[in-house]
Amino acid sequence: MKERRPIKLGQNIIILFALVVLVGVFTLLNPNFVDKYNIVSMAQSLAPYAIMSLGVTFVIATGGIDLSIGTVCIAAAVVSGKAFTSGLIPLWATIPMMIAIGTLFGLINGLLVAKLKLPNFIATLGTMMFSRGLSALIVVDPNIFFPTGTWYNKVFSNWNGIPTGILWVVLFTLICMYIMYKNRTGRYILSIGSNEEATRLSGINTDKYKMYAYIFAGMASGIAAIFWSASFSTVAAATGNGMELDAIAGVYIGGTSAAGGVASVTGSTIGAALLVVIRSGLNFVLAKFNLNLNSTYVTFVLTGIIVVVAVMMDVIKTKRQNKIKVEKNKKDKK
Amino acid sequence: MNKVILEMKNIDKRFSGVHALKSVDFELKSGEVHALMGENGAGKSTLIKVLCGIHQRNGGTVKLFGEEVNFRNIAEAQAAGISVIHQELNMMNHLTVAQNIYIGREPMKGISIDDRRMVQDARVLFERIGVDIDPTVQLGTLTVGKQQMVEIAKAVSHDCKLLVLDEPTAALTQTEVEELFKIMNDLRDKGIGMIYISHRMDEINRISDRVTVMRDGEYVGTVNTAETTKDEIVKMMVGRVIYGDRKTESKVPPDAPVVLEVEHLNRGREVKDVSFKLRRGEILGFSGLMGAGRTEVARAIFGADRKDSGIIRINGKEVNIKTPEQAVKNGICYLSEDRKRYGLLLIKSVSENSVLSSLDDFIDAGWINDRRIEKVAAETNAVLRTKTPSMEQQLKNLSGGNQQKVIVARWLIKNSDIFIFDEPTRGIDIGAKSEMYELMERLASEGKSIIMISSELAEVQRLSDRIIVMCEGRITAELDCKDATQEEIMKYATMRETMKG
Repeated sequence: MKERRPIKLGQNIIILFALVVLVGVFTLLNPNFVDKYNIVSMAQSLAPYAIMSLGVTFVIATGGIDLSIGTVCIAAAVVSGKAFTSGLIPLWATIPMMIAIGTLFGLINGLLVAKLKLPNFIATLGTMMFSRGLSALIVVDPNIFFPTGTWYNKVFSNWNGIPTGILWVVLFTLICMYIMYKNRTGRYILSIGSNEEATRLSGINTDKYKMYAYIFAGMASGIAAIFWSASFSTVAAATGNGMELDAIAGVYIGGTSAAGGVASVTGSTIGAALLVVIRSGLNFVLAKFNLNLNSTYVTFVLTGIIVVVAVMMDVIKTKRQNKIKVEKNKKDKK
Repeated sequence: MNKVILEMKNIDKRFSGVHALKSVDFELKSGEVHALMGENGAGKSTLIKVLCGIHQRNGGTVKLFGEEVNFRNIAEAQAAGISVIHQELNMMNHLTVAQNIYIGREPMKGISIDDRRMVQDARVLFERIGVDIDPTVQLGTLTVGKQQMVEIAKAVSHDCKLLVLDEPTAALTQTEVEELFKIMNDLRDKGIGMIYISHRMDEINRISDRVTVMRDGEYVGTVNTAETTKDEIVKMMVGRVIYGDRKTESKVPPDAPVVLEVEHLNRGREVKDVSFKLRRGEILGFSGLMGAGRTEVARAIFGADRKDSGIIRINGKEVNIKTPEQAVKNGICYLSEDRKRYGLLLIKSVSENSVLSSLDDFIDAGWINDRRIEKVAAETNAVLRTKTPSMEQQLKNLSGGNQQKVIVARWLIKNSDIFIFDEPTRGIDIGAKSEMYELMERLASEGKSIIMISSELAEVQRLSDRIIVMCEGRITAELDCKDATQEEIMKYATMRETMKG
């Protein structure tokens, strides 16, 4: 009886299947859904969400949560964009600046949670509000305009119809897989998620690795800002409200345990893709059938259901496994 | 004299991998104090939990007032008249005394709580059992002894007929113990039956009418307190058979190098001026009652808790250990009594648990080498005879003894030199116990040094080359194994400061 490592292949296959079915259904209802332009457009919006999902997966794997990823992403984009449009820095310099801003907020979260022992929910709620307000105050302008059609957009968003953002997502997923499964940082993060005190008493500096998780999530938000600004050009401090919840939902749908200790990196990417497909697909369906419904709200309804169902399936599966185990033990006794 | 109110017969309880209660009998009469004795892990608490519905029995019958009962939870047991005063008090420190007593059944006036009546009721209640406590103060401001009396009052207010006191005196001062006994005597006169769990022999002699002894989940016997002696009870509790004879000659040569030296270690109120030496290849037993500060000494040495002061030398060199990380780097390891909380990654595999402390040794050019991890984990666990279907098995599916072995494997792979075992056989089946003894002996003979904290006297006597006895945070004796009789150990384990001076 061989038990596999908990890289949940099973759940990955289920949501991959769900993704394919959804694409099929949307295509059937409105063939324009698989139009070249829409595919590129979906790919463009996937990149920032997927990268945020991947980043926050590490925090969730420790058993924590980071609510600030969405506003930190926007803050990084808005502040760097302002520096660029004011002529303070060249376009290329916005890239390191965004990453630096994201990392800085991640560092703050890490310090608050790991060193000062604040509850992660409250600490990151604080940085979430702080970063949202601060970026709006610094920038003043309601909108920041990033250039369109430059090398920046080509490399990070759309190279003559090739959705370059996707390639970056694949690369980032591979890097995250390495860190999570083949590097000590990920192994320790998963250990912390399954039992923090036992990990500490095994001689591991748990505070340090918890910090790493939050710093990485912050850095990922900064990277997501690059793709956000390259794809959408117009960035405002007020945009992206609730982005963090979409990204976090993607992680849970992907099969990472909210209790920590078990994480699926590929699941997070696929989960983010699933949400992007739903968002876009619903627009097409509603338009096709002239349904007078706000697609944003319909998306919320559907996403909510999917998150609950996905996590419920996981809970039921674990329960059943335990039941089988107990019954087996009883049999052994007899 | 009085009629039987509780009759437990052939009680059987199994947890996955552990047979915790084996056909245990217990009986309680009204107006009786019946002491339940046994060493840690003997199954006393499990029996109580079966009685009050926290655990469901796998076999046997429980009759309360002559009727068979089957409680599914504490609330049902409470409704039937059973109250339990736990070792750790389960009350709300921020609420007042009266609020704590009447929580969940507050007297109402319309839709709001009638605070005045609640306080009044509490006053009447305290008068009835002869306690002087102000019901309006916050519970947290009272001493532990007073808090306990509030809890007893709460039990009485529930109209309980059967009161379980689980080591109530562990944290009490002498005067508080006297007060407690006075209340217990009053309750006895009122016809309440009490089950009294304690390790303190003199208390048992004073307060109890009968004593039932358990050992390793089995019922040993019941005797009338007046017709027995302390020695007889100890003999019943310890039992020789499974432990083998006690060690009478140290196996450590007198010139063996000192690997660990602790000087004037202090931490809070639990560890006071502790100094000792540990030699290479030695098993140093730490004996004492619960709360004597042994675990706290271990945690302070290991850096799990920050020490207040004191010097630690390893192989003669002073080291500054502030975290477990530093302790592990210095070759020290600590195996906690509470494995689930402080040792195991239950949802992770045997492999991952085995290499948790030494992961750095399994990284080749930046990549974790899982194949090598599995190989080393399999080899080490084979040596330890860990029973597991595979190295990929999640640790939660293993029995307590095998889980313990995986943690030993973790520290063997890390190549630690100084092993601190804290209650190494707690919650482990008898078979696995003797295996654990052999394992510790083998480690010592291979030149590892072991500190073993244990509350089981026979265990300490069988394994230790030297025995340190602690009481109330201090070392009260250091005995060579040839002098360490049970009487001697118990004498020093109960040598309280107040008694000394």
